[in-house]
Amino acid sequence: RANSVDPDEYRDANDTVDPYLRAHVHSLVAALGGPSPVKGGGYVLGDEAQYVLRDLKKWLRAYDEKLNRLDVARCLAESKLVGNDLVEILASWPEDKVEDRRWYRLALSCLELLVPLTWPLERREEMTVNHHRHITYLEYAQTGYKRAILHHRSRKVLKNCVKIALPSLAVPLKERESRDDNIIRLVLYFLRNIAAIRHPDPTEDDTGEDIGRDATIKAFEKDNVLHLMLAISSGMGEDFNVQDVPVSEILFHLLKGVNMKELFMTETQLANKEKENLASLLALEKGMDIARNRDGPTRHNRFGTQIMLTRENGKTATISGQDVLASKEKGLQKIDSSKKWRKPKGGKRQSHEDVYVPVHLSTSAKKIMREFVENFIDAGFNPLFHHIRKDIARDEDRFATSHVRVFFYLVAWFLEAERMRREAALRDNPKEVADSFSIIASVMNQETLIIIQKHMKKWWELKMWSELESVMKCFTQILLTVQDMAASPFEEDQEIAENIQSRIFYEESTLDLVHTILRGYTTQTFDYLNIITELTHVHTKMLERYSKQNTHMFVRAKKSKSSKKKKDATDKNDDSEPEIQQENSTALKEKAFDFKRFEAKLLNNSSVDSFVTFLSYYKELDYSQIKRALSFFHRVFVKRKMEIALYRLDIVELFYRIMQDSEGLPPTHPAYKELDQFTKYLIKCLVRKLQTTPCLYVELLFSKIPKTAYYLMHGRDQEIETRA
Amino acid sequence: KKDSMAGVDDEVKIAKRKLRAKLDADRLLGPNGLEKIRKDAPKKLKFKGKGHEYKDCAKLLAFYQLWAHDLFPKAKFRDTLSMIEKLGHNRRIQVARTYYIDEDKRAKAK
Repeated sequence: RANSVDPDEYRDANDTVDPYLRAHVHSLVAALGGPSPVKGGGYVLGDEAQYVLRDLKKWLRAYDEKLNRLDVARCLAESKLVGNDLVEILASWPEDKVEDRRWYRLALSCLELLVPLTWPLERREEMTVNHHRHITYLEYAQTGYKRAILHHRSRKVLKNCVKIALPSLAVPLKERESRDDNIIRLVLYFLRNIAAIRHPDPTEDDTGEDIGRDATIKAFEKDNVLHLMLAISSGMGEDFNVQDVPVSEILFHLLKGVNMKELFMTETQLANKEKENLASLLALEKGMDIARNRDGPTRHNRFGTQIMLTRENGKTATISGQDVLASKEKGLQKIDSSKKWRKPKGGKRQSHEDVYVPVHLSTSAKKIMREFVENFIDAGFNPLFHHIRKDIARDEDRFATSHVRVFFYLVAWFLEAERMRREAALRDNPKEVADSFSIIASVMNQETLIIIQKHMKKWWELKMWSELESVMKCFTQILLTVQDMAASPFEEDQEIAENIQSRIFYEESTLDLVHTILRGYTTQTFDYLNIITELTHVHTKMLERYSKQNTHMFVRAKKSKSSKKKKDATDKNDDSEPEIQQENSTALKEKAFDFKRFEAKLLNNSSVDSFVTFLSYYKELDYSQIKRALSFFHRVFVKRKMEIALYRLDIVELFYRIMQDSEGLPPTHPAYKELDQFTKYLIKCLVRKLQTTPCLYVELLFSKIPKTAYYLMHGRDQEIETRA
Repeated sequence: KKDSMAGVDDEVKIAKRKLRAKLDADRLLGPNGLEKIRKDAPKKLKFKGKGHEYKDCAKLLAFYQLWAHDLFPKAKFRDTLSMIEKLGHNRRIQVARTYYIDEDKRAKAK
């Protein structure tokens, strides 16, 4: 009866996978091959290696994919298949046997295993217990895979993987069969996976630097991956077709978070910048020292000073600490800071994505990237983005939302890089005439604007914030590029710029959308807030200038009557100006105060709130960001004379804190002076107003009611006039 | 109640949680609320005007901070401000605010 022992009895309840499965997989892995016992013998393939690889692939497909578990992947990670076997096999593909059928099939089989094993592990909603059990382990395992691939001692694993695609790439598009397409796709997805893998949780001991962006870029350069990318993207549409999605994803994973400004700096500039960074950090520290010396204790911490604050109504409050002796203000601050209760905060939405986490590259990696970016803009930008844009516009099913988002992100990134490059060229060589903008023409057209506006609207309505972020970023960069184009010496560029502006500022609904998004800011992330404020800033400025230059500006509004529709129709059919001027004067009149109406819609309580929230991050903002907020407030306060919108205690308190508090900005900050001027002006006007309009003392606490705002603004007399 | 056996007939007391102090329209319209600002602020706040912006601002903020402390002692100044701002959308508060402004108009007319 000894034979009838139930094997399940011996199974460990805590075991992560079925032991039978593990045994199967391990025996397969063992049969694949192993290191030679002879010294210097290298890796020896098992007799049936090709079949073993096929079986492993079947396991992955039939068990993991079909049943939606990750058990086989886990077993393969435990058996170190990638590091001990697959990488070794790929590395030992001899140079002289590139044409060899057997080796080619072997390498391809390895790749077919590597792609699912390195596939990004997404935390989705329909995850099973198994997923939760394995994902963390597998994430660490994947970093190991990446390390093994990038740093194999032969240094040619990636190169050999690229080699697999070469025969298929050589086949002309028309003769290419689906098998060839699959092989190319396999290689590209493999590269995408490698680029996307990052350390899940870097620590001091395990920084993940060896698989970081820097290492990836260097390896990609050395193993011809970057060349492959250039070749495919520049031949997009002619020699290639469906490869646009993986290529753009590889680019995205290589470029996200890279600061293009630094790429286009010379070495001396970089060195200077680093010096400046250090200097500003030191200045900041010094400022902290000064603040501590000013506010800090002058005696030991048990000196035990106690102060009684007596109020006019006889109430008293006791505060301890000698620093309170200095001023009444300090005392009030202390009372406040000793309060324990905090207003419950609504959960802030934090993105877990690393899209905007800045990446630091070494000088050599920067050089590689710069060269690549320049080559890409010159050769690959137009074909690739033209192709993707065309298909997105056609609503092709192969574009998931994430792909569209990657497209917008990349377009924005490269447009900004191109502007930086122009700036750098101008800086190095001011006399040289800049190139024409035709190298980025594929996105500077009506079609791109249409998909941008469409997606902005769609994602806004669906509340897809991170996607909305990418498309707004793209729109902002297009606007900035148009601005540069208008200043170009080439007539053609100027014409295009003019044309685009007239298109952008033609639809009233899209003009309004920018406001709506700004006003709709609630609890999204800081990056989102940063982008909406930037977009609003750039958009409003350009529109203001444009409407000044073009006194005959038409906007297509929603509520157009039938007569107006006809006008629009003529406007649409021929763009010639004289025709329009012959129109009757009512149309002209409407355009004349068009910008003011637009601006009035922009400047309201909610958008003020958005900018106030933005400014409250003042410690992390740089000069241009503070400038952006200030110019908005300046527009509200001085240009539009809507002072009443800023007469709010929380706003006054924020400005006062920035300028005067020990928590505020150091006087060495570049934006300090401008902030100082504005704050003083704001307070001055407010004090004057308070003395003439005592009811403002109460209203100061609230956002104003539109009905009464006019009275508060202008005093009583005008109010009566408007009523009469 | 005295002769009940072993407290069987005693009413069972359920300890109620203390009501948490809340900053709401009632409190804001109460004696320590907006009325107090209306009464005190024009009298107590004496501004120096041009050239003394930050001092004036400090005075203004100190006045409101003490007022906020009396109104709702447990919250920090900045939290109180944002709570009050939210209350501004409340019907009753809006009515009161409009009333104050109308009062102001009438006072000016005299």
